[in-house]
Amino acid sequence: MKPAPFAYLRARSVAEALEMLGASAHRDADAHTKVLAGGQSLLTLMNLRLARPDQLVDIGGLMELSRTFEDTDSVVLGALVRHRTLETDPKLGKRLPLVAAAAGQIGHVAIRNRGTLGGSLSHADPAAELPLAMLVHEAVIHVESATSGRRTIRAEDFVESIFTTTMQADELLTWVTVPSARPGQGWGFVEFAPRIGDYAQAGAACLVTVAPDGSVAAIRAGLLAAADRPLVVSEPGDEVSGIPTHETWERLAAHWTRNLEPLTDDPDHTRHLCRAALSQALADAYRRARTDQEEAA
Amino acid sequence: MSAPPPRVTHGPGEPYVGTSVPRVEDQRLLDGRGRFLADLAAGALSVVFLRSTEAHAVIESIDTTRATDMPGVVGVYTGNDLPLARDYIGSLHTPDPGFVAATGFRMPEQRLAILPVDRVHYVGQPVVALVASDRYLGEDALEAVDITYRPLPAVLDPSASLAPDAAPIHPHLPDNEAGRIEVEFGDDVAADAVAVTVEGTYRIGRHGAVPLEGRGVLARVDGQRVSVWTSTQIPHLVRQGICEATGWSVDAVRVVVPDVGGGFGTKANVYAEEVVVPVLARLTGHDLVWVEDRQEHLVGSAQGRDQVHRTRLSVDREGRVLRWEDDFLLDIGAGGLWVAGVVANTAIHLLGPYRIPRVRLRGRAAFTNKTITAQYRGAGRPEACFALERSLDDAAGRLGITPVEIRRRNLLTAADLPYAQPLPYRDGVPIVYDGGDYLRCLDSVLELLPAETVERLAAEHPDLTIGHGVGCYIEATGRGSFESGRVRLTSTGGFEVASGAASAGQAHETVFAQVAADGLGCSLELVTVRRSDTDLVRHGVGTFASRSAVLAGSAIRRAAEQLLDQATGRAAQLLGVSPDLVKSTASGFAAADGSSEWEISWADLATACAPGGAQEQLGPLDVVEYFHPETVTWTMGAHAAVVGVHRGTGAVSVLSYAVAHEGGVEINPQVVEGQVIGGVAQGIGGALLEQFRYSPTGQPTSTTLAEYLLPGTCDVPDVQVRHLGVATPCNPLGVRGAGESGTIAVSATVAGAVEDALHGLVRVSETPIRTGPLRAAAEQIRREGQ
Repeated sequence: MKPAPFAYLRARSVAEALEMLGASAHRDADAHTKVLAGGQSLLTLMNLRLARPDQLVDIGGLMELSRTFEDTDSVVLGALVRHRTLETDPKLGKRLPLVAAAAGQIGHVAIRNRGTLGGSLSHADPAAELPLAMLVHEAVIHVESATSGRRTIRAEDFVESIFTTTMQADELLTWVTVPSARPGQGWGFVEFAPRIGDYAQAGAACLVTVAPDGSVAAIRAGLLAAADRPLVVSEPGDEVSGIPTHETWERLAAHWTRNLEPLTDDPDHTRHLCRAALSQALADAYRRARTDQEEAA
Repeated sequence: MSAPPPRVTHGPGEPYVGTSVPRVEDQRLLDGRGRFLADLAAGALSVVFLRSTEAHAVIESIDTTRATDMPGVVGVYTGNDLPLARDYIGSLHTPDPGFVAATGFRMPEQRLAILPVDRVHYVGQPVVALVASDRYLGEDALEAVDITYRPLPAVLDPSASLAPDAAPIHPHLPDNEAGRIEVEFGDDVAADAVAVTVEGTYRIGRHGAVPLEGRGVLARVDGQRVSVWTSTQIPHLVRQGICEATGWSVDAVRVVVPDVGGGFGTKANVYAEEVVVPVLARLTGHDLVWVEDRQEHLVGSAQGRDQVHRTRLSVDREGRVLRWEDDFLLDIGAGGLWVAGVVANTAIHLLGPYRIPRVRLRGRAAFTNKTITAQYRGAGRPEACFALERSLDDAAGRLGITPVEIRRRNLLTAADLPYAQPLPYRDGVPIVYDGGDYLRCLDSVLELLPAETVERLAAEHPDLTIGHGVGCYIEATGRGSFESGRVRLTSTGGFEVASGAASAGQAHETVFAQVAADGLGCSLELVTVRRSDTDLVRHGVGTFASRSAVLAGSAIRRAAEQLLDQATGRAAQLLGVSPDLVKSTASGFAAADGSSEWEISWADLATACAPGGAQEQLGPLDVVEYFHPETVTWTMGAHAAVVGVHRGTGAVSVLSYAVAHEGGVEINPQVVEGQVIGGVAQGIGGALLEQFRYSPTGQPTSTTLAEYLLPGTCDVPDVQVRHLGVATPCNPLGVRGAGESGTIAVSATVAGAVEDALHGLVRVSETPIRTGPLRAAAEQIRREGQ
């Protein structure tokens, strides 16, 4: 379990990292350069020789990308913000409780101490927590290239398929803008794994917006590990009328998972797990929204 | 005869045996100062192995030319390049002829090549060994070795492997049968006596030990000798394996065991790597090291379990067992040097701790194209226990009595014990359970974890449906033929203890010191237990089969007593008094004749034995003893579990667990408790998580720890343990083995609890327990409950 030979470059600035990525893409179209951040997936895959990059550009020293900014309606997160920060930072947790909960489900503490937001999104594992959280939050991902400059990609358009994003080879994920939780909005995140810290067998995240009278104004819900990418499953046409009950969430979860084709050994079982996770996440989100409203009142 | 109650602390003048003195090795092992195999590697070149990528194939060619030219490569070796006297490792166990005669036991000779040149038999089999300046360059160079395989159909199902038309996997054998056994006794049962007959098919998954530390071998040539450090439980058998394969003299090979991070049976095996590394050290003249990585471990280290039992159990109206039949099948993969042990263990332990008048068992082991197997903790016992205990639960359900009740009616009690079975043990000696009262274990475990616990836990876990299960097991422990123990007085008046029973972390340094200190009558601080080394004890067998405390403990005890006896005579001579006036003290000897008092310390005695001392001509005080038990001694226990099944997913959580076990004298009660709890943890892994899986073409798919799931701390609840000591007359310490006890009944107990949680809507008949059917049942309960 030793990696195949590779060249190693450590960037001292974002600009330098972009130059390194650009130079490598320009020099040899077949050369395979990977960005190294927390290394929690990449280094394992390299040690198994399943990933064989010719070159690593290590961005671990770019402190600027570890920063976070709080805007009025959103939070801007640097690509190098660690999972553990998302999980435990009280200010972030207040603005992005769903992200905090999702981050807390990633691996074990040692992994969360090293793993980064940008790394998780770029890796695009369909079972990963943060890509789903970003999708449900309708986050916007900022990428940058030495030649083509900056652009933004909606979280919905970011993942192409398993382990593949819509970023170009010379692009670096730099920042993520995440709309923060709004009043009346409750969150739910439920994940099932064989053991704590394992890759999820199924998981659901949602944001449920509740009107002051207790009726449901909006739902945005998604699933992980249900396809080759995180999926939004809520359908805006499926309005919830009146005050929802346990059966409401069960019915919605069943409806929204009915057409899933999970890529697992036992798709039927996985579909059931998705349904159970979604139903519980919806119920949790609604309950949290109501509790917040009651406390505010 | 009851064992004395355990003491927590050691008082002056009291024996150390029976006291939970702190483990002396823990400080070193826990603060990172342990010296494991990989810690010894400095200065050695790396050996890396190219392993078969095919489950079953003919090797058409191996071309090492490109690899030989790669940077850092010292040499590339195939099986043709190794100067071997014999190119395979021989069986590690042959049952006694008396047992063979009674059971029709048969097994063919296995000849799995150390490095095959013509045919591979499993993915992970070492094929080419490469010596490089470091492991990185070595792995790069492995990619330049060109092997052409012509694939053959992979045989993965043991039934298909044993089918009459199946092609033999091993060309020197007529078929794929790796072993067979038949046991039958008792009179036919009258049909009208039978109230219920249950039939079942029970599958125990392919599980393995997966110790914290993998294997590893370091070899160093020193003149005519080769010293081999290896992470093993059986240094003397490794030495034997090396000598048989190479033709080297036993005097030319030294095997040393460093700190070992867990063995559990997978290191109680002799491996190709343990032969190849010293052979290459000789060939190259370099110190060489190979440290197994986790990926290699999961395809190349011996696995276990993987049995199918087809059972038939008949009981009368009262639930008393009348007849028990089982036709079982073991998948031993491409080979298993302990196949005799595992087949016989399975058959013998199918008899259980019960009164069973009529028994008919048939077992067969099959070769397949999976990774090799050895004895994994329990080695047939957990599998046998699963089949019998699951059948009892089934019969109880059909009769409308509880699982506890059917066991209560069949367990052997004080009135039955000792209990003779009409069958010899593997050593040829007729089986007699030397226990005290097995029913007491069941009562005791229910005191620890009563069925009513379910209600309390149900209230705490509304998302779970909760159930209670029980399971009982029996375990033959302390198998011969012998083990060695050496005690010697050092030049400074301390003692060194050594044994062939190597430690893999089981507290040998503590418990053997306790035994020796009691035998010597000295203070514990004077005793140091050395790690196993074939130069320290010339003969030995090893640590496995719950045998070290029983055999090595007894050998050390006797060696210590003999040394004390010899020393008493020498002390008397030095003091000029009659030996019967000399008494041993914590620090040496004292004598008194009424008017005068004399004292002599162990250090004084050591000085007298040394060159220039008064007793130089008597030589050192150094005693080696071999303990040969007459036969095994039996441990019995009962387990109880409360589990929760998640209503939405079917996932199983073990919420509470208890073990009551009838062991013998406990040398160190805390160590025994640790063994039991660790065994339960390993059992939970097998019951719920662990499985070596293979694709239809024989590719292993559990090749990382993200796929082979081990239980973590969150998966194992607190385990309550109650020890019901019954000393055995079978050995001078009165001890019974406990190393495997904790793991044996776990799958059966958890399975029973799962069925209880799901109101009997599912039958659990395989491990690891699949959650899909449980989820469906949990949903059904929820629907019907609404």
